[in-house]
Amino acid sequence: MNEDRATSPPGAPVLSVRGLSVLAKQKKLLDNVSLDFAPSSLTAVIGPSGCGKTTFVRTLNRMVELTPGLRVKGEVQYVGQNIYGAGVNPVLVRRRIGMVFQRPTVFPMSVFENAAFGLRLIHESDDEVDKAVEEALERAGLWSEVKDELNRSALSLSGGQQQRLCIARALAVRPRVLLLDEPTSALDPAATQRVEATMQTLKREIVLVLVTHNVGQAARVSDRVAFLHSGHLIEVGETAEILERPRDPLTQEFITGRFS
Amino acid sequence: MATPTVSKSILDSDNIRYDASARTRWRLGFDRVIGWLLPLLFVVAIAPILSLVYYISARAIPSLSWQVITSTSPYQTDAMGVPIIGTFELMLLATSIAVLLGLFGGIATAEFLSERTAGWVRMSANLLVGTPSVIVGYFGYFTFVIFFGWSLSLLAGTITLAFFMTPYVFRTADLAFTSVPSHIREAALGSGARPYQYILRVGTPIAFPQILTGIFLAMAIGVGETAPIVLTTAGGKIPPQTLFSPVSWMSSLIWQNFAQAPSTGLPTIAFQAAFLLLVVVVSLNVVVRIISSRYRRRLEGLYA
Amino acid sequence: MSSPDPSTPEVREPLPASGPEETGSTPQSARSFLARIVPLVPALIPLGIMVAIVIALVAETGFTNFGIEFFSLHWDPVNNQWGIGVFLLGSLITAVPALIFSMLIGLGIAIASTTYLPRFLSQWLDPFVDLLAGIPSVVYGIWAFIIVAPYFGSQLEPWMVMNLHFIPGFGGPINTSGLGILISVFILTLMALPITTLLIRDALRSVPRDLWESGLALGATRWEVVRRVAIPHGRRGIFSAAFLGFGRAFGETVAVAMIIGTATVLPKNVYDIGNTMAAQMFELLDSAIGGTGSPQFLAAIAEMALVLLGISLIVNILGRRLISSLYTQQIQGL
Repeated sequence: MNEDRATSPPGAPVLSVRGLSVLAKQKKLLDNVSLDFAPSSLTAVIGPSGCGKTTFVRTLNRMVELTPGLRVKGEVQYVGQNIYGAGVNPVLVRRRIGMVFQRPTVFPMSVFENAAFGLRLIHESDDEVDKAVEEALERAGLWSEVKDELNRSALSLSGGQQQRLCIARALAVRPRVLLLDEPTSALDPAATQRVEATMQTLKREIVLVLVTHNVGQAARVSDRVAFLHSGHLIEVGETAEILERPRDPLTQEFITGRFS
Repeated sequence: MATPTVSKSILDSDNIRYDASARTRWRLGFDRVIGWLLPLLFVVAIAPILSLVYYISARAIPSLSWQVITSTSPYQTDAMGVPIIGTFELMLLATSIAVLLGLFGGIATAEFLSERTAGWVRMSANLLVGTPSVIVGYFGYFTFVIFFGWSLSLLAGTITLAFFMTPYVFRTADLAFTSVPSHIREAALGSGARPYQYILRVGTPIAFPQILTGIFLAMAIGVGETAPIVLTTAGGKIPPQTLFSPVSWMSSLIWQNFAQAPSTGLPTIAFQAAFLLLVVVVSLNVVVRIISSRYRRRLEGLYA
Repeated sequence: MSSPDPSTPEVREPLPASGPEETGSTPQSARSFLARIVPLVPALIPLGIMVAIVIALVAETGFTNFGIEFFSLHWDPVNNQWGIGVFLLGSLITAVPALIFSMLIGLGIAIASTTYLPRFLSQWLDPFVDLLAGIPSVVYGIWAFIIVAPYFGSQLEPWMVMNLHFIPGFGGPINTSGLGILISVFILTLMALPITTLLIRDALRSVPRDLWESGLALGATRWEVVRRVAIPHGRRGIFSAAFLGFGRAFGETVAVAMIIGTATVLPKNVYDIGNTMAAQMFELLDSAIGGTGSPQFLAAIAEMALVLLGISLIVNILGRRLISSLYTQQIQGL
């Protein structure tokens, strides 16, 4: 019996959030956030520090449960399935919803093995792994730079290259959603630009959710912008709309000065 | 869009409840099982402690009483007074010396030495800590008992034990002063404080809890040592009168009773001594933990 | 500003030994020279103690040359045979298995503590393991001799002979006292365990959080992250655990002396009695006190001590080099 089919209505969005709240002991880190993510799009999540944008993104792949003492309420639907539902294994969720962190976190192995990490876990054949690694590095915009030196230690790459390797590593297991938590904040401008170019390409293929404190970056790469403040989703809409004609005074206050 | 060239594998499955791949099901199962098995290993560590404490207490407690602990009569076979006093005196003297040497040395290392020299000094302290106790005992015997001619005495035991304990205090003092936040250190020195003023007025209050725990730990370790004392002292029937008298040390007492009558069974006094040693060691460790946790909170405040 | 992290000690400017120069009656150069030297003296104490020990040992040997036979397997002082090979081997066959077991168990406990158990549980359980280090050797010795050995002799070892006799060394006669190599390995494992557990735990804890999370975020199970990310990252700490744990097992004196049976010939199987260098030295010294042995006897003990010290130093140096932090938490022998 093939239980492989996902049980979801055919037209369901890849990722959608319904009434999501995250509660710590004393305060609400997120309050009743609802949001849909269209397939092949890039949504930027912006807001002042402490507004909950990192917490938000970490609920999307169940990384939030690594922090003790937090309670999650509401639903996050991946292809019609609530990732917080009963019987759902976070390991499976995280393969489909990947994440790239603020600092490049390459493993102490070769470039190839880094990219192949997720594939090795599921014991793909060597042929498949080779093909998948090449494809992932290509998509991350790194292939041309490392293709002759795949056995080099990943730690010898530059910061920007390492971060792109992390992106490739996440892409290798073919997630349909990629979460990026301030991926360029530790990079220099040139490296930042390469990563932004990569994001521009990827957003045509999968769902990207980008947390950034850099409104200019949001303007450059995103299709939609979601503005969070103190755990509340204040507004969300097309990038141009939000950044040039924000409706809410809080949004306006945040944007002015950071974007002109 | 890049056409995926990898064959359709489980990678493309969107099902997050059930994975068709046997491999992944095995991975998840293994992780769960290991998550239950590994914590059981704690039992391997904890069961012996419980067994040990139980059996020793069972043999010792029934015969312990205030009278037994304080009696110094040479005719009472289970009198603990003499070993307790002997142990106490030797510990006191040895600890004082170890604290003196260790504090001065450790603080000097933390504050006055260049990194290179400090590296050598710290390495030698670490090596001393790892040296087998019989070697220290051997050193003590040939140097103090024979060469200096002190014979098996309180003094020989004291100095030997002090040498054994010093590296522990040394390392603690070094670490404590090195951990003083540099912005505080620089502020103090920058406002014109002389080195000894900094050490006394600023460094010591900050480092004090850590040093205190280090001293207690060194004491806990020292009180249980056998070889260095057996080889440098002889047990006496009365508490030591002078520095050159024999002194009765609890661990030595246990060893000597054991060595002399292993097959006829250990006399109760050995169990009493073992029990008291456990009490001392555990109490010191508990105190150390309490001070440590209070200290950690205080240290965090320095970084506010 | 981050909390104190002894794993990367900041390089601090050493203090100038004296404050601003003062005018005084003593000549300037002598005074500042003194001021610079004086603080160095106490710092050199550990170095001094180490040197003193080595000098004393060397002096005691009387520079007697026993030749290569010193490592032979025949120890028979009465007939002028000074081969310490028996004891050296005895130390190895007890310390090496103890190391292996304590590493495996320590690894398991450390992984459980850092990865699988919730914080409030591991906070309570970890100190128990550390407590193993605080128990005095003699006390281990009594417990082993009175409680564990009879169990070994009457239950465990007969069972092992019946079921495991096909493994070389596990067959053969047992001695019902239960004393010997097997129980020594058991006790040494317990004594090395707190060291290995603590160091491996530290090594795993030093893995940066986002590295750990990156592994999980790729769809790896906790075990896979530990195995493929955390352990490779913490390699150095794990190796240092091995060296230092071995050092502890190798140098343990009193507990072993109480339960290994003191023989001067090689054990025939794991249940047989034997002896280690440290234990043998201790016994020889204990009986030599008061009386005097022949100069050769004393020289032999001294040279045995040098061998013991030498091995211990090498193992400790190698182990310490691998630890990045200044010092680790203080427990016995670490």
